[in-house]
Amino acid sequence: MTCGVARRRICGGVRMLLEAHNVAKAFGSFWAVAGADLAVEEGEIVGLIGPNGAGKSTFFNCLAGDTLPTSGRILFDGIDVTRATPEAHARAGIGRTFQVPTTFEDMSVLDNVMVGAFLRHPHRGDAREHALRIVELTGLRPDQPGRSLGTPGRKRLGIARVLATEPRLLLLDEALAGLTPGELREAIALVRRIQETGVTIVIVEHIMEVIMTLTRRVLVFNQGKVIAGGTPEQVVKDEAVIEAYLGRGARSHSRESGNP
Amino acid sequence: MKYLFFPPTGVCCLAAALLLFPMVFSDAFYRDIGVAFLLAAISASAWNIVGGYAGQVSVGHSMFFGLGAYAPLFCYTQWGWPPLAGIPVGIVLSVALAVVIGLPTFRLSGHYFSMATIAVAELIRIFFGTWALVGGAVGLQGPAVARGWWDLTFRGDLAYYYIFLAVLGLLLFVTFEIGRRRFGFYLRAIKASERAARSLGVPVRLTKLKALALSATFTSAAGSLYAVKTGFIDPDSGFGILVSVQMLIVAALGGAGTLFGPLIGALILIPLQTAANTWFGGSGSGLTFILYGGIIVLIARFEPGGLHDLWRRAAPHLWGRAHAA
Repeated sequence: MTCGVARRRICGGVRMLLEAHNVAKAFGSFWAVAGADLAVEEGEIVGLIGPNGAGKSTFFNCLAGDTLPTSGRILFDGIDVTRATPEAHARAGIGRTFQVPTTFEDMSVLDNVMVGAFLRHPHRGDAREHALRIVELTGLRPDQPGRSLGTPGRKRLGIARVLATEPRLLLLDEALAGLTPGELREAIALVRRIQETGVTIVIVEHIMEVIMTLTRRVLVFNQGKVIAGGTPEQVVKDEAVIEAYLGRGARSHSRESGNP
Repeated sequence: MKYLFFPPTGVCCLAAALLLFPMVFSDAFYRDIGVAFLLAAISASAWNIVGGYAGQVSVGHSMFFGLGAYAPLFCYTQWGWPPLAGIPVGIVLSVALAVVIGLPTFRLSGHYFSMATIAVAELIRIFFGTWALVGGAVGLQGPAVARGWWDLTFRGDLAYYYIFLAVLGLLLFVTFEIGRRRFGFYLRAIKASERAARSLGVPVRLTKLKALALSATFTSAAGSLYAVKTGFIDPDSGFGILVSVQMLIVAALGGAGTLFGPLIGALILIPLQTAANTWFGGSGSGLTFILYGGIIVLIARFEPGGLHDLWRRAAPHLWGRAHAA
C-alpha cells in the first residue's frame, strides 16, 4: 500500500492527498456507486457533478466515513481510511459539510464553531480564540443564536464549524445550494479564501456557475460511475455528459442546434 | 466572560434563601418538605447531565438510585459498616452498571435507549424483590440509633437538610463546570445532532458513556442520602418506575439541559405533590401518578423547553413593560 503510494508520488511528481480506488456501494441489489475512482492533489479544488440520483452523495459519504463502501479502498495521505469512523476522519484531517445544514440550534454561532475547535484545542480559552478567528473569517456574528440563522447563515456556519477542526481536506456537499446570486458570490469568495490557506477541497454541486468559477477539474457522475472528467469547459461539451443530463434526444437536438 | 466570575445576584439570593429556609420555617412539616425538595433537586440534576445536556432520555435512572439506596443499608445489615462507608460502594456499583448498560444501549438512539433503561430498571426491581439477601419485598433497615455521626442517623431533619444542600451545591458546581468545558460542548452537540457532532470529531459513544457514569454517580449518592434519611428501603421506593419518572418530570418541568432547571422544577413539583397528598389523604401515590401525567401532557403540548424557556422568552417583555411604565 505504502509502496504504491510512494511510486505514484514519484511517477506523478505530485502528492495525492486523497485517493479512491474502485469504490462501490450497494443498497440491496441497487448499486448506488458502481466502482468510482478519484485522485485529488494537495491544494486543488475538484468538483463532483451529475444528475440527481447519480450516486454523488453516496460516494461523498463514503469519502467522509459516513457510509461504509461495499468494496474498494480510500486512502488519505497514503493511509487507508475506508473503514474509519466519521470522528476518526475528522481527527485525521478530513472535514465535511452537510447538504441540509445541521446547526446546533440551542447554541450560539461561536459555541457551534467551538465544538469544532475543541478537536485540536482541548482548553476552553484556546478553542474560543481559535473559533473567534474562524467566525471572523466567515463573516458571521459570534453571539447570534444558531436557531435564528437563515439558510445562507447556516451554510456559512456549517463551513465555519468544520474549518475550526483544521482540516487538510474539506468535503463540501452542496454547501452553496439555495443561495441568492449575491450570497453565492460571497460564498464563492469564501471558498476561494479557504483554498488559499492551503486546504484541499472536493465540492459536490448542482450550480454550474460555482463549478465553472471555482474548479479546474471536474468529475461527472452518472448511474454510479464516473462518466467524464476534465476541465469544466471540456466536460460541458462532452457528449456523454449532455446525454446524462438531458437525455438521448437532447444530445442530437443540441448537436443540430450547435452545428446548423 | 463576566458571568463566570460574578455569579448573578439571583444565584446569591437563591443560595441565601436555601441556607436560611430551615431557620425561618422551623416547623417539622416545612423542613420535611425542604428535605424532599432538595432530594428531588439532586436526583433531577443528576439525571439532567445525561438526560438533559446529552439528550439521552433515561427512564430507568431508579436503577442507580436504588443501588445507591441499598448499598449503605446492605453494608450495615451484613457487616455492620457505618452507612457512610456504604455510599462509595453504591457509587462504584452504579458506575459499573452505567458502563454495562451504556456500552450496548448507546448503539441505540432515541426511544430505544429510553425503553432499554426502563426494562433494565424493572428487571432489577423484580430481582431485588425476590432476593432474600437484600430483604426481598420487605427491604432493608438502617441503624435505629446512631453509634456516631458516621452512621448518618440524626434526629430531626435539620442535619439532613444541610447535608443534602451541600451535595446539591457540589452537583450544581460540577454541572456548571461541565457546561463551560469541552465535555459540556460535546454533550450539547450530541443532543442537537449526533451525525454533525461525529463529523466534527466528537467521540460520541465515549462522551455519552462518561455522561451516564457521572450521572449515575450522583444519582447513586441521592439514593444513599434518601436511604440513610428514611432509614429504610424496599424495591419499590428504590427501583420503582415512579422514582425514574420523578427525576424526568422535575427536570423537564424546570428545563432539561439547563443548570437550574431541575431546581426550579423541584421547587414547584414537591410542594404541589405534598399539598395534593395532604389534601386528598392516604391514597397519595395514585394521585402522584395523575399529577405527573398531567404535567407530562402540559409540558409536551405547550412548553417542551420547560419553564426555563418560558421565562427566557417572557423576561424581555416583562422588562420592556417595566421600563415603559
